[in-house]
Amino acid sequence: MGMTRTMSLAAACLCGLVCMHIARADDDAAVRNERWTELQRAIFPGRTISDGAGVIQLDAPPRALDAALVPFTITLPGQIQIKTVYLVIDNNPGPLAGRFTFGAAADPRTLKVRMRVNTYTNVHAVAEDSAGKLYAVEKFVKASGGCSAPAGSNDEESMRNLGEMKLKLLNEFVPGKAVQAQLMIRHPNFNGMQMDQLTRMYTPALFIRTIDITYADQPVLRIESDISLSTDPVITFGFTPREQGRLKVEVRDSKEQSFLREFPVPGPALPPTS
Amino acid sequence: MRPLPLLLLVIALAANGEDVQEPAGFWTGQINSAVPETIAGGKVIHAQELEQLLKQEKPLLVNVSNEPKRPPGMSPDAPWLPLPQEVIPGSVWLPGAGMADIAPDTDALFRNHLSQASGRDPDHPVVIYCHERCWLSWNAAKRAIGYGHRHVYWFPEGIEGWHAAGNTTVVAKPWSAATQDVE
Repeated sequence: MGMTRTMSLAAACLCGLVCMHIARADDDAAVRNERWTELQRAIFPGRTISDGAGVIQLDAPPRALDAALVPFTITLPGQIQIKTVYLVIDNNPGPLAGRFTFGAAADPRTLKVRMRVNTYTNVHAVAEDSAGKLYAVEKFVKASGGCSAPAGSNDEESMRNLGEMKLKLLNEFVPGKAVQAQLMIRHPNFNGMQMDQLTRMYTPALFIRTIDITYADQPVLRIESDISLSTDPVITFGFTPREQGRLKVEVRDSKEQSFLREFPVPGPALPPTS
Repeated sequence: MRPLPLLLLVIALAANGEDVQEPAGFWTGQINSAVPETIAGGKVIHAQELEQLLKQEKPLLVNVSNEPKRPPGMSPDAPWLPLPQEVIPGSVWLPGAGMADIAPDTDALFRNHLSQASGRDPDHPVVIYCHERCWLSWNAAKRAIGYGHRHVYWFPEGIEGWHAAGNTTVVAKPWSAATQDVE
């Protein structure tokens, strides 16, 4: 008797905790929209966001092969001058995956990054123009487990070569003409949710907070990121080189470590400066 | 007409290509990866059977999904908004109970919850789940079997499978010693 009463009391208490709202399927559009409304309030409080069709385009695979390395391409056709792009992975625990601010030397037409995706989610790319107006587009991505997935065999190499960088021009170098560049950074970007396969312990978080790219001392791109950014990030961006100049990249991580590299454009990389 | 069943068989085999064997102990590999089709000492249950079981036997339901923690070093401005934890109505959410190396507190909490909520009846059915392709529930089911529970059901399709079968869920907070004191 006593047991029955205890159990029903427990059930009543539990119900008080859990019956606040009823959700249906994960892929229910209403649930997804409610989440986006909540995120807009948290990330862009009090601001209106317009439909971004024609202003910003987001491309992502509908079903990602590797949830820890989901490629996103953001395209800005250029009718409206955009100063900042926000990438929001709605259902990641830290949903603001990255903020990308373009500088004077940028060619902000195409931006590519790889991110971790934790579960089936909407992803929003939000463009902010120079007047502070916001425009958003949306893609649904099926991927799961990206946040707890161990990066695997590369971790040790990433740690050994922490902060190592490579830069590759993806088009022919023509002074005065915009070029796409691919930047590769060695960094494990541990998010604190990955487990070491040998020690069975969670690997402490260590992730990139900012990447500042300048060309001939003119700002190109500032990236603010955190735990959604993939291991060994690869970032593709555009800038307009002159006859000669140096692209400088400064990376800072969550342990306040800073890594600086300079790349003469065109030309081979210089040895690291510190 | 004959090739059709063969074709279906081939498709079925291809779809289920990942033939995963049960490990001898707890699974220590990647949490979100292909899981086996069995659990030694327990039973695998699917959504429709679980719906029936819920009506007939009032099993204990335990969701053992892990809880995301805000990592130190994130910008104070960066939003931290983990999705609310969905559970099958009537479940407790016990994060950590499916880890291969379980924290001693969590181990005690899990063991005590199963013992008390079953009225110390080792034959009372227990259902353990988390997400699809998630080993936490397999580990936790194995652990419950190890505690001496004789009717442990593992629901490998998890919350995603429960939704896919057209069922509702509710939002839960993590179960803790403090929550139990409220009883």
